[in-house]
Amino acid sequence: MTRDCADDLLQDTWLRIHRVRHTYRRGEPVLPWVYAIARRAKIDGYRRARRIASRETPMQQIELPAHAPRPGQLPDFETLIASLPESQREVITMLKVSGLTLEETARATSSTVGAVKQKAHRAYERLRGLLQTGENR
Amino acid sequence: MTCNHIEDALLANGKSRVWSAEHGAHLNGCKSCRRLAAVLAAASPDVEAPVQPGTLREIERVLTADLHPVRGIAPKRQFAVLLIAIFVFFAGLGVLRLGWRGLTVMTAFQASAMLGALSIGAILLAWSLANQMSPGSLHRLSPASLPIAVTITLAILAAALFRFEQEDQFWMRSWQCFRLGMPFSLLAAIPTWFALRRGAFLSPRTTGLGAGLFTGLAGALAIQIRCQNLEAAHILVSHLGMAVLASILGWILGLVIEQAGTGLRRS
Repeated sequence: MTRDCADDLLQDTWLRIHRVRHTYRRGEPVLPWVYAIARRAKIDGYRRARRIASRETPMQQIELPAHAPRPGQLPDFETLIASLPESQREVITMLKVSGLTLEETARATSSTVGAVKQKAHRAYERLRGLLQTGENR
Repeated sequence: MTCNHIEDALLANGKSRVWSAEHGAHLNGCKSCRRLAAVLAAASPDVEAPVQPGTLREIERVLTADLHPVRGIAPKRQFAVLLIAIFVFFAGLGVLRLGWRGLTVMTAFQASAMLGALSIGAILLAWSLANQMSPGSLHRLSPASLPIAVTITLAILAAALFRFEQEDQFWMRSWQCFRLGMPFSLLAAIPTWFALRRGAFLSPRTTGLGAGLFTGLAGALAIQIRCQNLEAAHILVSHLGMAVLASILGWILGLVIEQAGTGLRRS
């Protein structure tokens, strides 16, 4: 995502928050409410971008050098979670980077606490496998 | 202490790096867990979310202190009751219009089980829809899975309660029930739509799927009370099939709304 797209998404998110401000219920946690709206804005933004990109011809493809970890060094978090499926990556990012609780993550993703736990456990399994594979190289 | 306990602790700890003595002992002995814990502990706030968790909490505090609802949305319970009232009204309207001859041929067990299941399905869907109207609601049942679970449960129940028999003019009889019950489902959809518009459903397709099935069950209940045909395939295809079709129509409507890019509705 480019900086311009991120700025558009931010504006879109705040606009949506303003439009649906009446749906916030007193006493309910604010952060999951905001996250849920922002998440939906992100999904809609990605779909829009995909539709536009499918009609565009890329001008130039620049290959970025891969940053492989040195032998014995742990791969960085960003590299590891990039290989997770989108739903698992989203949950791990919310729990570990943004510091949301399980319930807040469930609220923000419109799913249940059990589903969030399941995704997190699957993500951990996958991360274990990736760490093991990296060590065996 | 197993690796599963470590994973549960990783979920519970959030960003904290404090481990109990038991967890610490396992980590000392398990390389896989140690590496996993080390990688997650090193999760940088710069990854995907440049905002520090502390800043997020501060934003939350400021927003909460200054948040004044403008014609705030009613509590979930009120919406659920409103939706259930819509269901009861249109199912009742169907019964008044079409009659209740079906009750004279069903056994007490069949009537209570089938009609009870239809009603419980509608109540669960009403509660789920009321939850979906406010972003960030805590769902006890997945809004995407609930309509499917309700449909499968009703299908299994119908197949268990009623017998499969050879029937003459199967499709004509099925169409008759279908065309009698569908108008009540479509009528129920109108006030349901106006009620749901008050909220902000984040996934129009999911909400459409649930709302469609909800209104479809109103018609299905009316038809089940009216219809004297207790053949299982007939009930599955025409009564339940009508509810399923309403659910599909709701999903399609949700897809159209999503494509139009108006995923969030305003009051």
